[in-house]
Amino acid sequence: MKTSGAPADLVEQSLYEVRRTIHPRAVRGWFAAWRWALVWATQLVFYGTAWLQWNGRQVVLFDIAQRKFYIFGLVFWPQDIIYLTVLLIISALSLFLFTAVAGRLWCGYACPQTVYTEIFMWLEQKIEGDRVARLRLEAAPLSPRKFALKAVKHGAWIAIGLWTGFTFVGYFTPIRELWDAVWIAATGPWETFWVLFYGFATYGNAGWMREQVCKHMCPYARFQSAMFDNDTLIITYDRERGEPRGKNAISRPGKGHCVDCNICVQVCPTGIDIREGLQYECIGCAACIDGCDQVMEKVGFPKGLIRYSTITAMERKLTRAQMFARAFRPRVLVYSAVLWIIIISAGVALWNRVPLKVDVIRDRAAISREVEGGMIENVYRLQIMNTSEAPRAYRLSVSGISGIRIPGEAVIEVEGAASRMVPVKVRVAPGAVAAGTHRIEFGIESTDDTSVAVREKSVFIVR
Amino acid sequence: MKRTIWILWPSFIVGGLGEVLFFTVFDPHELYLFGEPSTLSRMAVYTIGFFLCWAFAAASSAFTCFLQGGSREINR
Repeated sequence: MKTSGAPADLVEQSLYEVRRTIHPRAVRGWFAAWRWALVWATQLVFYGTAWLQWNGRQVVLFDIAQRKFYIFGLVFWPQDIIYLTVLLIISALSLFLFTAVAGRLWCGYACPQTVYTEIFMWLEQKIEGDRVARLRLEAAPLSPRKFALKAVKHGAWIAIGLWTGFTFVGYFTPIRELWDAVWIAATGPWETFWVLFYGFATYGNAGWMREQVCKHMCPYARFQSAMFDNDTLIITYDRERGEPRGKNAISRPGKGHCVDCNICVQVCPTGIDIREGLQYECIGCAACIDGCDQVMEKVGFPKGLIRYSTITAMERKLTRAQMFARAFRPRVLVYSAVLWIIIISAGVALWNRVPLKVDVIRDRAAISREVEGGMIENVYRLQIMNTSEAPRAYRLSVSGISGIRIPGEAVIEVEGAASRMVPVKVRVAPGAVAAGTHRIEFGIESTDDTSVAVREKSVFIVR
Repeated sequence: MKRTIWILWPSFIVGGLGEVLFFTVFDPHELYLFGEPSTLSRMAVYTIGFFLCWAFAAASSAFTCFLQGGSREINR
């Protein structure tokens, strides 16, 4: 806390940073267009996918209440967590790869923090006006007009936040049922809570926190520099060309190209000056490139005073072709190779995935007993999980000891995406085996598709 | 504000991770509360579980923050 008369070092250690609200100036250009394209793409996928249907159910549904994840034709069970792990590894490696090649592409174009901030800022601009108008409004005392503008803005933000929260919950609870429930105020207490929680988080993050999230909360911002090298594309100010900067640089040739218009600072969502070099606050959104290019065009200098470039390219004055050629360096090639190997193996594993899982549990009550005809019987419980969506019938078999068999008809029917626990008796002729433990193997095979088969090991005990 | 973020935010991430791992392995319906099978819905258990995970992680973060103060701050 800053208290008057406190020693200077205490003030410096202050935990509270007075945050100056940043009102970035809107910018148009090549990179802004890309960002908007990605806002549309990611949000169409996010808001839209939840409503798509497949085989009479939601195409993507993480049905945590039933502990099953549906993604298109696939049904994942908790036992399939390996696929989630692989997905996380693929995401992490992709992030490493993209970062090594072109810096914080994720942050600048695709991160939800950026995307929602972009949407919220667009609304803010539509409601409160451009940067100058917003600064003026901020400084003005509270008036009915200011109050109305703020109320409309926050109302719009909250509406988007709630819709986002609703959509988010709609991935975990069937969204159509949730939608119907909303209208009669019959959503479950937990669903309601999470809609509000996620909605509030969206509103807070994109409306209030904004660049604070990137600066103080994001772990990626802290370790991204470990993935950078001298050939990583970063947003760079061409100091040699720009300096010495000056407002009247146009009338004074011989001076640098930077006209010190400060547009690059005004458009920056994190409020930094890119001319001071690469800073960890820079999220790589390239708004300063778009802003500067517009100015350069107006004053008749070549574009690209601020541009995507690399440290090596700056130092050695490489052409763009030479610079891009250096993208194929060992680090990038290794990342790419590892990434492709994992993606292909995961794809193959998914493709060959048998939609059937079986757990064999020995019945602990009766280890081994003699039944009619002197046969020796062991009892097992088989949990048969049909992870396909169609109901299936499975034929059981057992092998490992000569003459071992399952008495009676051994066909089990299991509903789609369901599991069934069945008791199974296994018999061996007396004298076929010595006393002790013997390895056996159960075979479970679909009656209509022999490729859907699983073999599970167990033991047969003779006393 | 910053200190609040330091305590609540990393614990949110770690709590979420703990929640996912725990409930991937354990089905809420198979959990016992003080020796009684719980009658809560899975959604309820997931939600309570998440906030418990978050709270524990936040307590750890807060403790770290508390112990982090330098001697100058304590001797003041």
